[in-house]
Amino acid sequence: MPVLSVRDLSIEYRTRRGPVQAVRDVTFDLEQGETLAVIGESGSGKTTLAVGLIRLSPRSARVTKGEIRYDDGKRAFDVLSLDAERLRRFRWADCAMVFQAALSAFNPVITMWEQFLDTGRAHGMGDKHTVHDRTRELLDLVHLDPKRVLTAYPHELSGGMRQRVLIAMALLLDPRVVILDEPTTALDILTQRAIIDLLRELRGRLGFATIFISHDLSIAAELADRMITMYAGRIVERANVEDLFYRPRHPYSVGLMRAVPRVSGALGSVVSIPGSPPDLIRLPRGCSYYPRCPFHVEQCLEQDPPLIPVDTPDHEAACIRWEAVAAALGSDAEAPVAEKLA
Amino acid sequence: MATITPAQGELQIRTMQRSPLSRVRGNLGGMWGRPITQAILKALLTIYVTSTITFVLIRLMPGSPVEIKIDELMNQSQMSYADAAAMASGLFDINLNAPIHEQYFEYLGNLAHGDLGNSFLSRGTTVMSIILSVLPWTLFAVGTGLLLSFFLGIALGLVAAYRRNSFLDHAVSTGGSIISSVPGYLIALLIVLIFGIQLRWIPITQMRGAFTSGITPGFTPEFIGDILFHASLPITVFFLTHIGLWILSMRSATLAALEEDHVTVARARGLTDGRITTAYVGRNAVLPLVSQFAIAAGAVVGGAVIIEQIFVYQGVGLRLVASVNQRDYPLMQGIILMTTVCVIIANLIADLLYSRLDPRIGRAGGATGK
Repeated sequence: MPVLSVRDLSIEYRTRRGPVQAVRDVTFDLEQGETLAVIGESGSGKTTLAVGLIRLSPRSARVTKGEIRYDDGKRAFDVLSLDAERLRRFRWADCAMVFQAALSAFNPVITMWEQFLDTGRAHGMGDKHTVHDRTRELLDLVHLDPKRVLTAYPHELSGGMRQRVLIAMALLLDPRVVILDEPTTALDILTQRAIIDLLRELRGRLGFATIFISHDLSIAAELADRMITMYAGRIVERANVEDLFYRPRHPYSVGLMRAVPRVSGALGSVVSIPGSPPDLIRLPRGCSYYPRCPFHVEQCLEQDPPLIPVDTPDHEAACIRWEAVAAALGSDAEAPVAEKLA
Repeated sequence: MATITPAQGELQIRTMQRSPLSRVRGNLGGMWGRPITQAILKALLTIYVTSTITFVLIRLMPGSPVEIKIDELMNQSQMSYADAAAMASGLFDINLNAPIHEQYFEYLGNLAHGDLGNSFLSRGTTVMSIILSVLPWTLFAVGTGLLLSFFLGIALGLVAAYRRNSFLDHAVSTGGSIISSVPGYLIALLIVLIFGIQLRWIPITQMRGAFTSGITPGFTPEFIGDILFHASLPITVFFLTHIGLWILSMRSATLAALEEDHVTVARARGLTDGRITTAYVGRNAVLPLVSQFAIAAGAVVGGAVIIEQIFVYQGVGLRLVASVNQRDYPLMQGIILMTTVCVIIANLIADLLYSRLDPRIGRAGGATGK
């Protein structure tokens, strides 16, 4: 029984030029304790999807169709049908979110302790001491000194510390799902490393399920069990981590991995994807990756290809040319893509 | 602990990075670095500069008030020049024969004792006692009007921002910009002319003065009611001239605060709307308004001169105009100085309040807090 199952979710933004279809027909399941990575370049709809899951999208956004079914262990309900008060209680208690902008994630004029207390109180933890004990425990878990952190104002802590505090706060109410929206993007490389190790450790200890949004493939590969590639608001490939890294079947996934520099490689080995993502207001006919795709054929213009099983039943790609992709990769070298990530 | 966790490492690095700077500040003396000390020093300096300017002003006033007074005394009372000069210098509390720097230091010394000299007109009455009898009324009217407009303006601005583009928003912001562009004296005149004289809804003649003569001052309901009755028109004007400013400022500050990341995170944290509005949006939005309030407080005391004149409210402004008309120079000088001091104190309070409201400015209690 998946803890979160999303079906045909479509989200669009109203703009002057017309509706922007930021998320289109997204379907996936998140199992208990599992980590699902969502990768894609900027503008692929990752973040819209992430905030859409807890209905925190900006006012201009609208869910046009779909279902977000959350199972809290006792019963399952559709997040989209919750009223305002039940939605408020659902947020953080059932599904917490660690944001990209941890530097500005806290109210600058009140102490960290007050922000923990606010969070606890909003969800019925009426007793100060309960909140305090749990907070201290969690700050210990994220390797921070509770005494120092709790009396501090946000500006008195470094970026890495704030990110840790936000992670600790996300776990305050024991959520079954934690969404991590590029939690390491704003941090330096050493701090990134520490945060990733921390997340891995916490996940092992506490057993929450994670949706990990990232454009950093190497980090995603380290944390995730399964991966989703998004392009132009759609899922274009879905597989477990090994398959996606060693045997990608959608040309966009291949392109993403080629675009990652490797430590041991020659400088020329990084290949960027030519062109830019399509206009989500006027989507091109057929496959939206067509103009940038090295494998494209006439047929690709006929329809936006649906996800179809490739290689194994668990591996799906939205590409009619997946066999050509497989052939190209297979003949090229043993594992040309994964090697870049070694 | 044997191993160093990344967090501890981070802490250590931060401590190391900060230590040279804090050491320099430590050498300068922790006390001087504190915002409260800085604010008070700034206020004292401003008061000093103001009093010096006032001293120079007496000497620059057209026709030298001291000489005029000496002439007047000689003509009226057939005094000798020496007697008249002695009397005049007593009135100004300046020894005219001393060199200018000695006069200046004597003036400062007297000021430090609260001695502003004697009034020309009512002999034997000190300027200080006159000021103390009128200044509280002005501060009361101005303060009440400003505070009322501040709190109501903040509430309306916040609501308007939350209901952006609703009818209420348009009504409140349009009303706010119209009313804030009308000068206070015009509003005062219109009240007198329309409600006082044309329609006779307001008994403007009875409302003159700060309170009805004959009533016993004290903390009785009658006296407080009487004070409010007399102050109501000036308060209304101060209120109306500022409410628009607060509404518009608060509205735009709130709109900006609503866009902040931490507000989105607060929503994701499932905080109640009430808590988000007050502690997360409102508190951050109100910060820039606190310094605006200090500026407004300064301007409105100056503006009170005309408003009190129109309503014949027995405040410092009315007295100032009278002293100018009667060439009561020591009184003029004293009123200007004391009014400035009040504004400086208002600014000081705003400064201190600001550093309390915004921890990023620096905590009055020191850097490490609790």
